[in-house]
Amino acid sequence: MGVAKRILVAEDDPVTRRFVVSLLEERGYEVLVAEDGEHALATAKSARPDLIVSDLVMPYRDGYEVLRAIRNDDRIKDTPVLILSMRDHEEDIVRGLEEGADDYVVKPFNAREFVLRVRKLLEPRTA
Amino acid sequence: MRSALVGAVLGIALIFLLLTLLIILGKAQRELREGWRRRRRRVLEPLVLKYAHGASVSILSALGGGINARDRGVVEAILLDHVSRVRGIEHERLCRALDELGFVDRFLEALTGARWWHRAEAAENLGLSGAKRATAKLAAALSDDIPEVRLRAAKALGLVGGRAAVLPLVNALTEPNRWSTIRIADILTSMGHEVVRELMDATPKLNPHARLAALDILGRVHALESVPWLLSRLTDPERDIRARAAHALGAIGVVDAAPELRRALSDPEWPVRAMAAKALGRLHDAEAIPALCAALRDREWWVRVNAAEALRRAGPMGVEALEGMLADADLYAKHQACLMLEDAGVLDRRVAQLAASGAVRAAADAVVTRFIQAGQVSRLREIQATHPEAAVREALARLLAGALLQEAG
Repeated sequence: MGVAKRILVAEDDPVTRRFVVSLLEERGYEVLVAEDGEHALATAKSARPDLIVSDLVMPYRDGYEVLRAIRNDDRIKDTPVLILSMRDHEEDIVRGLEEGADDYVVKPFNAREFVLRVRKLLEPRTA
Repeated sequence: MRSALVGAVLGIALIFLLLTLLIILGKAQRELREGWRRRRRRVLEPLVLKYAHGASVSILSALGGGINARDRGVVEAILLDHVSRVRGIEHERLCRALDELGFVDRFLEALTGARWWHRAEAAENLGLSGAKRATAKLAAALSDDIPEVRLRAAKALGLVGGRAAVLPLVNALTEPNRWSTIRIADILTSMGHEVVRELMDATPKLNPHARLAALDILGRVHALESVPWLLSRLTDPERDIRARAAHALGAIGVVDAAPELRRALSDPEWPVRAMAAKALGRLHDAEAIPALCAALRDREWWVRVNAAEALRRAGPMGVEALEGMLADADLYAKHQACLMLEDAGVLDRRVAQLAASGAVRAAADAVVTRFIQAGQVSRLREIQATHPEAAVREALARLLAGALLQEAG
């Protein structure tokens, strides 16, 4: 058994956060949580997670700002980011991907599909 | 007298003191209850989520074989909180848990209760529970005296889904005084393709208002299977039905509908012609270009606007047709073509080509000159004053001055 992959879940809604955390912990991942954008960015810099799951609408810094800050920081710019948002408009999804997100899942979400996407993003990338 | 006054003051003070004590005690009790609920939630939620993720067959076994009466409220809140946030198997398992623990039965009972807010809450919870067996009672709740209960029952039917839930909602479309058509149409649209068959079957029996809403819904759910039926509506005796059918066909975006829509451009009623033009624009139908050019001469403004937009959306051939219309004898057609070419940025691109040479320059000269001849010079003057290239500014100034000289001559 190798070392568990570390995932940061940035989500301000406590119910969704608990659901996502329990879903990922159930699959053996080590999960860190952040309740707002500021905290998410600080945790991403200090804990260097293998993946970040981020909401778009959060206090202090929204998901786009967090994403931009991550992509502009040399130490964590390669961390894959999965957006988990209620915003289901095409423009929001396109903007999320343009800002550098690796994947986008719309809430309410299918848990199994979400886990598969997480697993995919955690696979080693080939150059 | 004095002692009576003192007694009264003391009495009032005592009453205030008692009331204050009661408020404090009530608040303390609420806080204690909430604290207890939070603690129980921390214990029970992981068990419920474990069940949701598929760890046990039954919610009861996940909760250790049963739950006591005090925990029932906490488990109900946990299930309702999570069920609205997920889809797929987890959602189904949470719905099943709500039924297994008897919450659906309780909601059904509350739906016919005396207090309206309890009925409204029960309707909402039944929707979240996705209980198909609640469909009949939710349909009955659409006739509740209280609008809030009716609305939540309608939303719940949308969440529960299934053909049995569609018909009561379709019938609600026929009562615009009792229902907001927009709300009901939104609910039906959110149900997706399962509403299509019922809508098409019910339409002949609906009143005109509901028939129009039904056509809009078919377009919004992109119901491919409704295309032949919508095409046959293009010859309906009612002009509004023909217009909405054309609009819905455009929204669905099936290219096969183009020949019929081109014919609809000659409809005697202008709303039908306008919607047919708009629909052809959405289909990016190059074959419709000659008919759309003819529609630019329509006596109705709305038809001309939609035809111009459709030509723009038809791609380079459509834009070329719009430029050709700058020389048209019809002043309205010419004006509409100018506005669309300006809006689409074609004029700006042509002006920039004035600095080029050969055929490109000649084509740009011709288009800009036609704009000037049509009297559409405000944007040209703006570009002349602000364009970064001196060659463009000079060429444009020459063309504008030439036109002025011609006018003076």
